[in-house]
Amino acid sequence: MTLPEDVPLTAQPDILPAMARDAAALPPIPWHRLRRIALPLAVLFVALGLWQWITASGRVSPLILASPLAIAEAFGRSGAEILAHMGVTLGQAMAGFAIGNALGLLVAIIFVHSAPIRRAVYPVAIGAEAVPVVAVLPVLILWLGNGMAPKIVITAFLTFFPMLVNALRGLRSADAEVKELMHTLSADARQTLWLVRLPASVPFLFNALKLSACACIVSSIVAEWLAAERGLGHLIVVYGARYQTAEVWATALAATAASLAVYGLVTLAERLAMPWKTR
Amino acid sequence: MDGSLPDPDGMTAETAAGGLVARDVGMVYRRGREVTEALTGCSLEVPRGSWASLIGPSGCGKSTLLRIFADLVHPTSGRATLHGTTPADARANRVFALVSQQSTMLPWRRILENVELGLQVARVSPRERRRTAEEMIELVGLKGFERAYPAELSGGMRQRAAIARALTLRPRFLLMDEPFGALDEITREKLNFELLRILQETGATLLLVTHSISEAIILSDEVAVMSARPGRITKRVPIGFGRDRDRSLRDDPRFAAYEAELRHALHG
Ligand SMILES: Nc1ncnc2c1ncn2[C@@H]1O[C@H](COP(=O)(O)OP(=O)(O)O)[C@@H](O)[C@H]1O
Ligand SMILES: [Mg+2]
Repeated sequence: MTLPEDVPLTAQPDILPAMARDAAALPPIPWHRLRRIALPLAVLFVALGLWQWITASGRVSPLILASPLAIAEAFGRSGAEILAHMGVTLGQAMAGFAIGNALGLLVAIIFVHSAPIRRAVYPVAIGAEAVPVVAVLPVLILWLGNGMAPKIVITAFLTFFPMLVNALRGLRSADAEVKELMHTLSADARQTLWLVRLPASVPFLFNALKLSACACIVSSIVAEWLAAERGLGHLIVVYGARYQTAEVWATALAATAASLAVYGLVTLAERLAMPWKTR
Repeated sequence: MDGSLPDPDGMTAETAAGGLVARDVGMVYRRGREVTEALTGCSLEVPRGSWASLIGPSGCGKSTLLRIFADLVHPTSGRATLHGTTPADARANRVFALVSQQSTMLPWRRILENVELGLQVARVSPRERRRTAEEMIELVGLKGFERAYPAELSGGMRQRAAIARALTLRPRFLLMDEPFGALDEITREKLNFELLRILQETGATLLLVTHSISEAIILSDEVAVMSARPGRITKRVPIGFGRDRDRSLRDDPRFAAYEAELRHALHG
């Protein structure tokens, strides 16, 4: 057998201009990577410096805005406590995240397989999304107590909708040609779901996961605010009542770190899940 | 149809009702108020094991006729059969494979996995389907590219993969809709002759839609010419080159004569 007539461009270094080839021979300096990390870091340091300067100059009361150094000290004092409560918040957030996203995907799968169900239920679901859950939180707490359950329910509720909407779009995103291919291959609905619909929806699913990665921590904290004995939200209320402003800020930073960590994990999973896009 | 074609069972196409048959097929598309008559009184016969091409002005209904055989659309009148069965049964029994211009690939699957798709849907065991897919990949000349993703291949290579996928189920009928239409002239002719070799090896019946007269001659025992919409077969030109065809085909004086004949049939 002869070689294929057309080899992908990457296999033909000859067509690169000479300069590009010389540059490619040296170990490349990843300037763009350095820049991607260095620039935001520089902005962060400038902001921290400004912050420290404003608070140290006495223009703002430390009760309102703690200085970065004071926040660092607060971490030293109360770090263990904050970490313990962060575990609770993260646990609730992750449980709600998992339940909400799983249900959203499941309902989307039901919707793509039954047009009547979709037509009947989807408008109601979209209407339900408009419910300001925070407003019904006291009722939820009455029903479910002030433990983890109401927080998980709220978080699941809030992560459900982005997943439902995105998964529905993703599951229907396969091209007409792909659907025709599966038809001529006599694929049944289950095969089409597993071989085409779900893989095609992966980018859409990750959109939803990224949207709710931060939201799940926020909703968990807001719920703890209202009634809880543990968690970062509860801690913020306690520190606030004691005028421990630096601790409040330290807790907020810890929550930010938790959100970023969840978001980062989702992004990492996204890369691993789509090798055909990142190669 | 030329009665001298080889027939393994010693039956003619008529008595066996083998091959591809379209009888008085009419097709009217309705989209809202818009009504398009794509085919009218269209009849075609491709005896089993033979190769036929369909040429005609664009929009005359060539793809429609092919899609009727592939059970993607239902004719409004008349009937189409593959080996005497309806397109729906033929599809359920996986006796045909369709190759389209887009070489539809699943972007998240490597080439090997894409080629395996039909076997996987047919619930062939993983070991068996790997073996068959590798064999077909070798046949179409894609060895070494099994682990590439479709986006990493050129259009010609993706089209080879699509042909390999179509061959894995050992279809008795290959339905091809301008399979090389998106490729450059050189790649196209190269693939023409490789398809010829593959057809010789597999013994499949071919119905090829093309807009290239020379491609039609190279790959056919008979070329059917369609009229402008609503399409019908207006002329059938047997190509008497037999089965031993190679690149010297173009130098045969008959090639130019067929070409002229088909050009006249097309442009009136
Ligand atoms: N799904 C469809 N709905 C409505 N009209 C269609 C559809 N498919 C094809 N047509 C029309 O039918 C005619 C024949 O189309 P087609 O079979 O694709 O022609 P060809 O392949 O010969 O170019 C064209 O006028 C086209 O616009
Ligand atoms: Mg067409």
